[in-house]
Amino acid sequence: MDKIIKFFSEVGKLKEMPRRGWVIRDIKNPESIADHTFRVAIMAWVLAVKRNKKINLEKLLKMALVHDICEVYSGDTTPYDSVLPKDKKKRRELLKTWPRFSEAEKKRLAEKKYKKEKAGLEKLIKDLPPRLKQEIMGLWLDYERGASVEGKFFKHADRIESFLQASEYWRSNKKLPLKPYWIQAEELHDDPTLLEFIREIDKEFHKTKKPKE
Amino acid sequence: MDGKTFYITKEKLRELKKEYEELLVVEYKKSVNQEAPKILESEDLNPEFVSFQEDVGFLRARIDELKNILDHHELIKNPSKDKQGIIGLGAKVKIDVDGQKDEFVIVGTLEANPALGKISDESPVGKALLGHKIGDVVFVSSPIKIAYKIKNIKYEVS
Repeated sequence: MDKIIKFFSEVGKLKEMPRRGWVIRDIKNPESIADHTFRVAIMAWVLAVKRNKKINLEKLLKMALVHDICEVYSGDTTPYDSVLPKDKKKRRELLKTWPRFSEAEKKRLAEKKYKKEKAGLEKLIKDLPPRLKQEIMGLWLDYERGASVEGKFFKHADRIESFLQASEYWRSNKKLPLKPYWIQAEELHDDPTLLEFIREIDKEFHKTKKPKE
Repeated sequence: MDGKTFYITKEKLRELKKEYEELLVVEYKKSVNQEAPKILESEDLNPEFVSFQEDVGFLRARIDELKNILDHHELIKNPSKDKQGIIGLGAKVKIDVDGQKDEFVIVGTLEANPALGKISDESPVGKALLGHKIGDVVFVSSPIKIAYKIKNIKYEVS
């Protein structure tokens, strides 16, 4: 039992870990990784039901719960990390755009992130009972690769939660550049239910004011 | 299942067939109470298989999902020479977005991975690019208008 308590305590650290994407954008009192996990689980569940296609909700929800726990040790990362300037003015400029990389660089960054997070997860779950350890690792790998219906759907729901959060922060601070989120959304999502949800976000948040081009 | 056609590359087809065959073995071994292969310990096997092993329901669902894809797939092939100047599935497209250079490959939904530059043909950007040629500027309008200028198109489907 002591090892399980240790696991819970370590996972609990996510309640105090702010999401890096908001930190680099100077959002005051940003949500934590655990905050994000809570809402993305609710969103994945509700949107999967709305999608009305065969999907295993138990698997989806377990996947939601474990998808970011590796970050206890690996830390949170953003697509900007490898090019983020220290100078605040330059940083603000960079964050107005979606970062673009060469094909080789995309592969290198994805592999680096994958290795770091996998190592973090292995460390976190190493003392759990073998079957549980195997299940958590399997769910994470499925999410990471978007392998099954649930893995692919959740990977997209995960981005949509961040997208909604960005829109909410934008509502109270119009200086937050939303363009990169829209670019990412238009290039990433292809599930009809999630695309419909994105259009609804547009209607809800941009009725009177559009974000800056 | 909804009768959808899955457009995939030969490489993806090989990968899915391998997974399907191996999961059938895992399922059989589970049904006769034999120990399933210890996939986590093998670096050679596809680690994605792991999540389907612990729960028999997950395992069967994934087998059915794979069977549906294998029954309803179409291979992505290079188009004829006269159509290689037009963006279609499998096209490698050099683009200019807001003055920044990028490179996309247009793929079917199963292979989409924007972090690696693989854009689904069913995404708004993928859909908008289809049918266009070098020099065209394609606009994707969400609340923000984004311009994609097509600089080059190449097909390298094996």
